[in-house]
Amino acid sequence: MSSVWLPCGDYHENYLKDQGWWQSSFIKVKMILLLAVVFLGIPFLAPEYWIGVATMVGYTSMGALGVQLLIGYTGLVTLGHAAFIAVGAYTSTMMILQFPWPQFMVDLGLAYPVSILVAGIVAGLWSVLFGLPSAKVKGFYLILTTMAAQFITVDFILTQYVSQIGGRGQAFSLPPGTIKIGPFVMETEREIYFLMAVLLTLIVIGLANLLRSKPGRAWVAIRDNDIAAEALGINIVWYKLLAFFVAGFTAGIAGAFWVSNTAALSPEHFPFFLSLWLVGVILIGGVGSIHGAIFGSIFMVVIMELLQMAVIPLAAYYPKLLVDFAYIKDAAFGLAIAGFVIYEPNGLAYRWWQIKNYFNLWPFSY
Amino acid sequence: MELFLMTVTTGLMVGGIYALVALGWVLIYKCSGVLNLAMGELTLIGAYVTLTFYQMGVPFILAVVGTLLVGILLGILCERIFLDKLIGEPILSVIMVTVGMSFFFKGVVQFIWGSDTRVFDPPVFALKPIEIGFLKVSSVYLWSFILSILLLLIFVAFFKFTRWGLSMQATADDETAALSLGVSARFVYAAAWAIAFMSAGVGGALLGNINGINISVGYLGLLVLPAVVLGGLNSVPGAIAGGIIIGLLQNLSGTYLDQYFPGGVKEIVPFAFMAVFLLFKPYGLWGWERIERV
Repeated sequence: MSSVWLPCGDYHENYLKDQGWWQSSFIKVKMILLLAVVFLGIPFLAPEYWIGVATMVGYTSMGALGVQLLIGYTGLVTLGHAAFIAVGAYTSTMMILQFPWPQFMVDLGLAYPVSILVAGIVAGLWSVLFGLPSAKVKGFYLILTTMAAQFITVDFILTQYVSQIGGRGQAFSLPPGTIKIGPFVMETEREIYFLMAVLLTLIVIGLANLLRSKPGRAWVAIRDNDIAAEALGINIVWYKLLAFFVAGFTAGIAGAFWVSNTAALSPEHFPFFLSLWLVGVILIGGVGSIHGAIFGSIFMVVIMELLQMAVIPLAAYYPKLLVDFAYIKDAAFGLAIAGFVIYEPNGLAYRWWQIKNYFNLWPFSY
Repeated sequence: MELFLMTVTTGLMVGGIYALVALGWVLIYKCSGVLNLAMGELTLIGAYVTLTFYQMGVPFILAVVGTLLVGILLGILCERIFLDKLIGEPILSVIMVTVGMSFFFKGVVQFIWGSDTRVFDPPVFALKPIEIGFLKVSSVYLWSFILSILLLLIFVAFFKFTRWGLSMQATADDETAALSLGVSARFVYAAAWAIAFMSAGVGGALLGNINGINISVGYLGLLVLPAVVLGGLNSVPGAIAGGIIIGLLQNLSGTYLDQYFPGGVKEIVPFAFMAVFLLFKPYGLWGWERIERV
């Protein structure tokens, strides 16, 4: 499902071309246009409010891409991804606040970028730790160990111990000016949006390349039939752990980015709900494709924003609605997941695929 | 020593409630293969329904009976609306539908009953502890334990001696054979969900008596998952044993580990224990070991 049928008359002559990055000049133009919209169109034309929404979409996408890699490509169902985002966020914050940076690093604005990288690595290793049971267990038992990761990491270690460092109680806040990349201080919505766009683009490019190389093929083989994959000589434990590492790495980067978005941090930002939300996002977007994760994020975040906008005028007549909005949101999210799984199990990405095929094959769609 | 014995008794009694909820979970899994992550919300619904009946002036026991009836109704509705169409779908779809259900229920419950902690008022059970020999047990725990054991016995008797129970057992053992003998699979699925709602509802009502009812009762319902995994997913005695083990573990760790790891160690230990346990026994205590072939 991942690749689209080619238009009549177009065909690939060799494997290299089949796996190519730009398969046709049309795709090249399309992707450059997309990048132009992301990097120029949204930040400079959209209103401030919608730039903030786009930033949330990007944050959700970064998290969802890790889940997509685990669930959609490797077949390892995870319900604890928020834990790894949290680990990334806390690693980054602790490094900025507590690490004795040499003065020139702070002046050059290198502290935050370095902490993003370290956050990715630490979250990746933490994810591997909880991926270890995947060597022996699978299916529902594995789901429960990832749930254990969520509760142990966020509800216990982060809430009870890490939050106490510095003696400021539950929440950390980052003083203004500490989140700085090179000469740019992350302050306005637009700067944060640019950081998100760069990170998300890098993650998407990295993942897409990984998925069309040896590890990616190994992951898909494990997803489709792990015993057959092992018989073909794929070291499944190694590749499963690699999948956990890469997913944890992207989660860590998402977490480190989250710090710049809020400039404050508390364990409540990473509840079990977030883990389930991310799985819901990829189910709605479509399991097993990168653009599925992004479609899902756009759909969920924008729908929730619209729901909120619909509630505010109604609240004038029915004030209780504002208080109850969180519950309505929960219920709507639940119904959306159940509805998509039951009636549209292939997600939005499948519709996208159909639309593209329709135009590729038009007018002779036989 | 006295502290130890008290902890063990309390753990045992809370474990009885977990065992009851775990039984409902295993039943759904055995009969229809659905891995249900909405169990916590089923306990929540049960707790609030009982509370509503109780506040309308119905005696507690009758309120529990009322909860059972509402449970049957909701169970059948749920099965028909959400899960009927998913038979034979991949594990992730089924799990995510139950996750969707859990969000939906959580939202609806909070919308209707709010998020403040509610208590049974006037208290159902006497506050004075009951003394058995030298042991002091608070009467809430004792009565909850008795009630849950009673219900467990009723359910087990239902499976052993009634026609409906036997047809459910047959479906759990071998679905194709049961179908060919004229058992209606749809009936069995609906019955399994009804029983799960009933057991979770009563479990929720009892848990609500101990600490009051708020959204965290749903979290206690999640503790059922480690319990069923310890017992092995498809074993009813395993679920009961697992529930009691989790209850014991929780209380023992609350008493003895809390001084070394202050904070919420009580809530974490079941999950941590389960994660380590799975490394050594991947199929739980009495689960079926599947031999996989390509």
